[in-house]
Amino acid sequence: MTQVRFYGYGLPGMRQQELSGRLIVLEGTDGVGRSTQVALLREWLESSGYAVVSSGLKRSDLAGKGIALAQQGHYLSDMTSCLFYATDLTDRLEREIIPALRAGFVVLTDRYIYSIIARALVRGLDQDWVYNVLGFALVPDKVFYLRSDLNHLVPRVLNARGFNYWESGMDFLRKRDYYESYAEYQGRLLAQFDAMGSEFDFHLIDARRSVHEVFVELRHNISKLIEGMRPRSPRIPQ
Amino acid sequence: MAQLPNGKPLPGKLFVVEGIDGSGKSTQMDLLRKWLIGEGYCVAFSEWNSSPEVQATTRRGKKKRLLSPTTFSLIHAADLADRMERQIVPALKAGAIVLADRYIYTAFGRDVVRGVHPQWVRKVYSFAVQPTVALYFRVPLQESITRITSGRPQLKFYEAGLDLGLSSDINESFRIFQERIVQEYEKMVDEFGLMVIDAMQPLTEQQEMVRRIVAPHLQGVLKAERSAWRDVLVKEQLYGRYLTDIGAERGQL
Repeated sequence: MTQVRFYGYGLPGMRQQELSGRLIVLEGTDGVGRSTQVALLREWLESSGYAVVSSGLKRSDLAGKGIALAQQGHYLSDMTSCLFYATDLTDRLEREIIPALRAGFVVLTDRYIYSIIARALVRGLDQDWVYNVLGFALVPDKVFYLRSDLNHLVPRVLNARGFNYWESGMDFLRKRDYYESYAEYQGRLLAQFDAMGSEFDFHLIDARRSVHEVFVELRHNISKLIEGMRPRSPRIPQ
Repeated sequence: MAQLPNGKPLPGKLFVVEGIDGSGKSTQMDLLRKWLIGEGYCVAFSEWNSSPEVQATTRRGKKKRLLSPTTFSLIHAADLADRMERQIVPALKAGAIVLADRYIYTAFGRDVVRGVHPQWVRKVYSFAVQPTVALYFRVPLQESITRITSGRPQLKFYEAGLDLGLSSDINESFRIFQERIVQEYEKMVDEFGLMVIDAMQPLTEQQEMVRRIVAPHLQGVLKAERSAWRDVLVKEQLYGRYLTDIGAERGQL
């Protein structure tokens, strides 16, 4: 059972005390392999008989497109994007994640409020304000923090898609050089995530290891969380 | 004086009009704007829910009825945050007058009626500049409804508060929704020191009242020389055939 607890004022109109599913979050900086792990975990869970929903930032019906469009123009201010991300997450929570949890799904989300917080705080927004805005968020059953370092992240990003404007913090660091900007930005994000670890009860996963090693550790920990949720199969007559 | 949330004063002035639909606030703001421009002041205008970056999402949410009390609140906050940083604060820093048709009090009223926590939404909007003057147009409910229903084709879903499930009849839902918003406004009169204008007074009397309230704040505000070319035309005895075209394009005539 997931106890319904919120980080702040919560969502109006939410009367449920418990939800039968599990909310599991994978957090970490860009390029750390979150989406790969979500895909692997989902496959493993489904083939073991669990019903799974996966979700991620900017995927809401309401605000996903809006954020993507605004980011193409490189034109969102820090507060506006924080509120935009908050809108996106609320929409997914209310119309996707909570209904799934109510129905007993395992919900895997690729990032949650912690990425939004880290992103906002390294850009200098006020912490009290950011925490208040995100006070609608349901406290997850578990947050896995996939931690890596720059030496491991850079080659992955280069192999995948190269340095991206937002992931390099080009919007506020004002460096001319993408690599320098990326290194500076991701370094600050890492420090921010590290600082949030105990406050939000992150379960640290060393993501410098191979994809397989990380997967095995995640699987081991998630197995414990979902004990008893699996449908039992009847004996099939021979 | 308009003030940043950290208490730092800004040289410009922010005047805000508030009130329920049909209170006549936009009409009064328009008259105020024209008067101020006529007096030679630099006036910027900012309207609720008008940020181009955010509007597409709000429109989508309203059209497809995707908005919940919390997303409704957050997306409107995103709109104001965007306008604040790009429109309102820069104009105020430059020493101009900013007129805002609806401001944070609209959010506090509507969102709280929709069920979000009053303290939560006040903190969400804590980035907003404190206005020089906020005018609240107080109107009896029945009067505002008569004005709205005679002038507008059909109420919209969120406008009528249909998302609240107050009544399945759109007009009845609108009436209950507006009534509750009025209650919130009335609470805010003291909380935020809103200046109350009696919206039942004749238009010109209301406008006189508005000007009397605004006038003491206008000392030292940035003025713009408008149509500086008029002098040249007179002195050089030119007709200004082409200049008037430019003026019309810029909306100066």
